[in-house]
Amino acid sequence: MLEDIADYVLKYAVDKGVKYAEVRAQRQTEETLMLRSGILEAYVWTVDSGFCVRVIADGGIGFASTNKWTKDEAREIVDLAIKHARAANRSEKIVFAKEKSVETKWDVRQKQKLENISPEEKIAKFAEINKALTSCGVNIAATMLSCTVNLISKYYVNSEGSRINSFIPRIGAHSFITVIEQGKAEQAYQQFGYSGGWEAFKEWKMEEKIIHDAKVLKDVITKSKAVKPGVMDLICGPNVTGIAAHESCGHPMEADRILGREMSQAGRSFIYKGGPYWIGTKIGSSVVTIVDDPTIEHSYGYYAYDDEGVKARRRFLYKEGIINEFLHNRESAAKLGTRSNGSSRSINYDREAIVRMANTFVLPGDYTEEELIEDVKYGVYMKSFTEWNIDDKRFNQRYVGREAYLIENGEIKHPLARPVIETTTEKFWKVVDAVSKNVEFEAATCGKGDPAQGVPVFTGGPHIRLRGVYIK
Amino acid sequence: MSEALNKTEEIVKKAKALGADEVLAKTTFGRYRQVRFSNNQVDISVAWNDYATDVALAWKKRVVATKIYNFEGVDGAVKRLMDLAKISQENPTFGGFVKGKFKYAKSNADEKLRELENPTDYVFEAINAAEKEVGSKVESGGILFTKFEDVYLVSSEGPTGVDKRSAIELSIRAFSEREASGHGVECSSTLKNFKPERAGRKAGEIARLAKGPKAGEEGVYDVVFDPLIMGSLLATWASMASAFMVMVKLSAFVDKLGQKVAPEIVTLKDNAAQYSLANRVFDDEGAPTKENVIIDRGILKTYLHNNSTAKLFKTETTGNAGLVVPTAWNVEMEPGDAEKEELFKEVKHGLYLTNTWYTRFQNYAKGDFSTIPRDGIFLIEKGEIKQSLKDIRISDNILNLLNNISMISKERQHVHWWGEADPPSLAPYVLIKNVHITKSR
Repeated sequence: MLEDIADYVLKYAVDKGVKYAEVRAQRQTEETLMLRSGILEAYVWTVDSGFCVRVIADGGIGFASTNKWTKDEAREIVDLAIKHARAANRSEKIVFAKEKSVETKWDVRQKQKLENISPEEKIAKFAEINKALTSCGVNIAATMLSCTVNLISKYYVNSEGSRINSFIPRIGAHSFITVIEQGKAEQAYQQFGYSGGWEAFKEWKMEEKIIHDAKVLKDVITKSKAVKPGVMDLICGPNVTGIAAHESCGHPMEADRILGREMSQAGRSFIYKGGPYWIGTKIGSSVVTIVDDPTIEHSYGYYAYDDEGVKARRRFLYKEGIINEFLHNRESAAKLGTRSNGSSRSINYDREAIVRMANTFVLPGDYTEEELIEDVKYGVYMKSFTEWNIDDKRFNQRYVGREAYLIENGEIKHPLARPVIETTTEKFWKVVDAVSKNVEFEAATCGKGDPAQGVPVFTGGPHIRLRGVYIK
Repeated sequence: MSEALNKTEEIVKKAKALGADEVLAKTTFGRYRQVRFSNNQVDISVAWNDYATDVALAWKKRVVATKIYNFEGVDGAVKRLMDLAKISQENPTFGGFVKGKFKYAKSNADEKLRELENPTDYVFEAINAAEKEVGSKVESGGILFTKFEDVYLVSSEGPTGVDKRSAIELSIRAFSEREASGHGVECSSTLKNFKPERAGRKAGEIARLAKGPKAGEEGVYDVVFDPLIMGSLLATWASMASAFMVMVKLSAFVDKLGQKVAPEIVTLKDNAAQYSLANRVFDDEGAPTKENVIIDRGILKTYLHNNSTAKLFKTETTGNAGLVVPTAWNVEMEPGDAEKEELFKEVKHGLYLTNTWYTRFQNYAKGDFSTIPRDGIFLIEKGEIKQSLKDIRISDNILNLLNNISMISKERQHVHWWGEADPPSLAPYVLIKNVHITKSR
């Protein structure tokens, strides 16, 4: 069914004389369960299917979608898309960077197929995790656990001859816990994600990690001390390294943002033509290489071809401390005179594909975690974060430690109560002097676009050591 | 009875025939249009046609839900949903969907928004208004969004209703320099009251004033909040008033009912009123929406409820049911008695903030958070705007901000933008004392 209607829509659009047309037809089965303090609030199951068309006509782009699978409706949305594209009346006509057409099929392997896991089994799994949490010796006042399973079949076809079928099974989960000890509350949130089957749980160690969170929160309440504000060294665990790489490297390197296409909502970038930062500018120390890589098997942000039919590949964003390569779709690539690097993603058939990250992380170095710590005389080990944010040019950021410890003379001492680093992108990456060998990935949902499109990504990465930063 | 309402009712009947205890079905035929623009040009125009029925049912307190598209595959979907219910788990806190026959207010939806197919001209009205303020070098970007929904709701517990919901909103950000911008929004449920040039003019005015920003300094300031940034704060407080958020402790209002949480000048309401982008005459259970006073002259009066949370809290539904959890629709802060200018005059050394983004919490229960002002940050000295600033952050506590409100303007604006000021609100200018500001080091 996906192919039939999509091919019909494409032919109808091409016959109307547009310069370019593409159609994405998608069928997405989704099951979500939500447990509040062990009680199943609701089990939601949906099968969403629909298709969209995007055209270039008279130098403008028009996009229209529907979930009514009729030829009448198909013609209506094509006519709408063309009408809207022409109404743009652009002085600067939009073109796409050249791309080879491709005919292929791709999918993600599952060891234990999600289709074969019954709702009872899914519910039981999370009930079991909740039970383990409530008996871990910490006073957990509230828990919220949720799980979403997606089975996404997609058919992409464009007027240049590309024709791609794909199937991606994906599973995600969230936990949010509130620990109350000595009348004080602390909270922790974690996200888990995997492209593949039910075997995800073996990778996640979800129960172990949430119980660890609970114990950390208890320690924060009962044993932590405030950090004495000042300049000191900082070791970031994968959780903190990952959010920093995502926010202060991945986002500012999105070419649509650099070109201003997101200027109103998600903002611009500190990188812009004619500004102090551009490709070739030093932004970090030579040990900092940050990549975005959709090709990591079973990663949450995995894909083989993007939503413009471009083959996915690893992108070196900051390479040895130098701004190296932006994330591009075909529109941004044409504007900057280059080729797309396969960064165009859409969350569903009713959303325009825009420039997105996939899995963004610092490449590992040579150090063990112990070696990073033993060379710190006085500093902070920020293993994970709670509050975080960054300005819309992606330069001023703040991370507040959730699990954090004081380091003295190369040894980890007592827990710290919410230490804060508030600094700039350049200051953060320029003082990194060492990177650990081990990489730990974490799942996240990256927000961008209007209407919002939360896309699955990996963050995480290695431990990194920063010298002489201000912590409060 | 319309065909769509008949088909919605059939879904409910089929689920009942299969043994469901309670069933809700809500069909929405939605026409959504959007124009996205940047650098003064239209980037893409988008049209969505959506035909969907949300179905929720309960069987022996097992609650399951699904979505049916364009009334296709109804039999299979309803059977699958019943099968799911039978293998699901009991939710002992499920209190049933709201019961009764209700008379709903008449919808005031604007049929012109159903037919509006080419809204690009409104975008250029806004861009031109910004340009008038800033000059030809202005760079403007944003979105125009229109919505028209026909909604049909049938509940096995009595409620049956038809609603029409229309909205149009424009969000424009104008840059006068690389780091000098202003943001304006224009929100309405009707085309008649929609004035896109107003948003463009405001964005342009702020962008012009914001030229030549200097890095701001850390400290504790008295701050005048523009309606747009107040929209973000109002949305946060109202979301924290959802009974579900209280239950999972994603709220700083836990155990604070009946307590003083703000000065007497503060009254906050939730009201899915006809002027609002979120206009609706019934909630997702079919309970009539109404004005709910969340904070009455400083006292926290109620949480926002669906029928189940209301039973848990031993009260009545407030008409805020989403399909699963209660949610605020449209937040209103009661106006004060001050002119906008009087708020500025009150500030000896402080700030005027016009917008913010990226609000994140360390701890919802305690309320510690930070957020990053953008689009016009100004130093106020002796009641007057003296200097444009940049690169600062509000790092404070959401209850402290509420408690430190000292002055509210008469003037209010209906605001909404993206996820940052959502749900929409009717927001005044507000003076808040002793706001903690931090910056990068």
